[in-house]
Amino acid sequence: MEENYFLAKWLNNELTEKELADFKTTADFEKYEKIKKHSSHLEVDDFNESNMLQEIISHKKANQQTIPLYKKWFVQIAAILVIALGISFVLQQSATETEFALNGKKTSFSLPDNSKVTLNSGSEINYKKRDWSNHRNLELSGEAYFKVAKGKTFEVSTALGKITVLGTQFNVKSRKNRLDVSCYEGRVKVNYNNQEVVLTKGKSIAFADGSPIEIPESDVIEPEWLNKELVFKKEKIDNVLSELNRQFDVEITVNSKPLNQLFTGTIPVNNLDQSLQILTSVYHLKSRKVNRNKIILETVDTQK
Amino acid sequence: MPLMPETCDKIIFSDFFKKNVKPLRNFLFYKYGNKESAEDLTQEAFIKLWKNCATVPIEKAKSYIYTIANNSSLNEISHQKVVLKYEKNHSVNDTTNENPEFILEEKQFKNKLLKAIENLNSTQRIPFLMHRIDGKKYSEIAEELNISVKAVEKRMHKALIELRKEIDVI
Repeated sequence: MEENYFLAKWLNNELTEKELADFKTTADFEKYEKIKKHSSHLEVDDFNESNMLQEIISHKKANQQTIPLYKKWFVQIAAILVIALGISFVLQQSATETEFALNGKKTSFSLPDNSKVTLNSGSEINYKKRDWSNHRNLELSGEAYFKVAKGKTFEVSTALGKITVLGTQFNVKSRKNRLDVSCYEGRVKVNYNNQEVVLTKGKSIAFADGSPIEIPESDVIEPEWLNKELVFKKEKIDNVLSELNRQFDVEITVNSKPLNQLFTGTIPVNNLDQSLQILTSVYHLKSRKVNRNKIILETVDTQK
Repeated sequence: MPLMPETCDKIIFSDFFKKNVKPLRNFLFYKYGNKESAEDLTQEAFIKLWKNCATVPIEKAKSYIYTIANNSSLNEISHQKVVLKYEKNHSVNDTTNENPEFILEEKQFKNKLLKAIENLNSTQRIPFLMHRIDGKKYSEIAEELNISVKAVEKRMHKALIELRKEIDVI
């Protein structure tokens, strides 16, 4: 027989009318009724709940130590990753980018603003990617041709001087004692020592050993070296040879009396022998290959 | 940042605390008869919940604190009789139209009821007082004591029979 806890049901007001009527006829009903009535008026003292809450919440600090380990690891690893990524991003952004062309090679590349740079043999450019569009400046050693996208001031710093432009095409050649700048489009400002020269399309300027050299206006649209030609204007023979050394990755030395005549002319750099022939005929020299990379130029007389 | 678990939110936690602190304290008082101990144990249970708020979802918090309370234990010495009292304004209402003899009888009955409750064994007393004082449903009591509703009804039934007998004896 299933037990019927009818008193529980009655206390909870769950009895049917009939069950309730039956219960009311029993002798104990009145007592149960009193128990029900009076027990509903019982109470327990209040206490200071908000003090307790403050006390409990003040335990928050201890809380962090009881977080399961894996959660701590996870949080730590995540934090380390985020920090590492952040640092590497900043470093990458502020790191100096280097582009170079070895002797005998040329390199073309784009700057972050899509300005195009072509490096001539044996040249190097350093710049920072960070905030490039607002700080377009780079360091050049050697020779490079620039096609600058429109934007903020674009600066090329060389050991000898600074070239400042907006959007334009120009060539900079920075050698030991000589700086050559040619403008092919737009305007180029050249700062050399305390002098400032503004070049317009077709104009070139050179500074050698501290003094400017006049260069005749030209109507070429880009530097000749892009097309494997070296154009020299009133250049010392040593500098011409240095250029050839760079272009062919060789070592040419002159074994003769000092050659003081400046060289003006174009030397194709497709073929070393052809290039040497031009030089030897101008200076009355004879070339002798010591080995694949070493060439000596001698005066014709001494050979006899 | 990972989302903070709800239980760790001070507002949600405080809300939960306010709803549950008195019934829990009362439950522990019905169990041990000692108000200070009941309050201490209540505080401990909530501190545990707060410390582990990251791992206890708010919907599990109630069963969490009652599990702690159920597993709690006190020294024998700390067990006392559960001394209750009636609401202050309760007796006033009853005295209006009744004769002095009836009032006296009522008063005597009420005292007997208190005594009878004190003498109840805790298995019956706890659910009985949870129902009468805290106004909990049988289903709630069953959940908190981790027993079936049928078992709650049985205990309530027996408690009433026990109380009626005790009152007669006293």
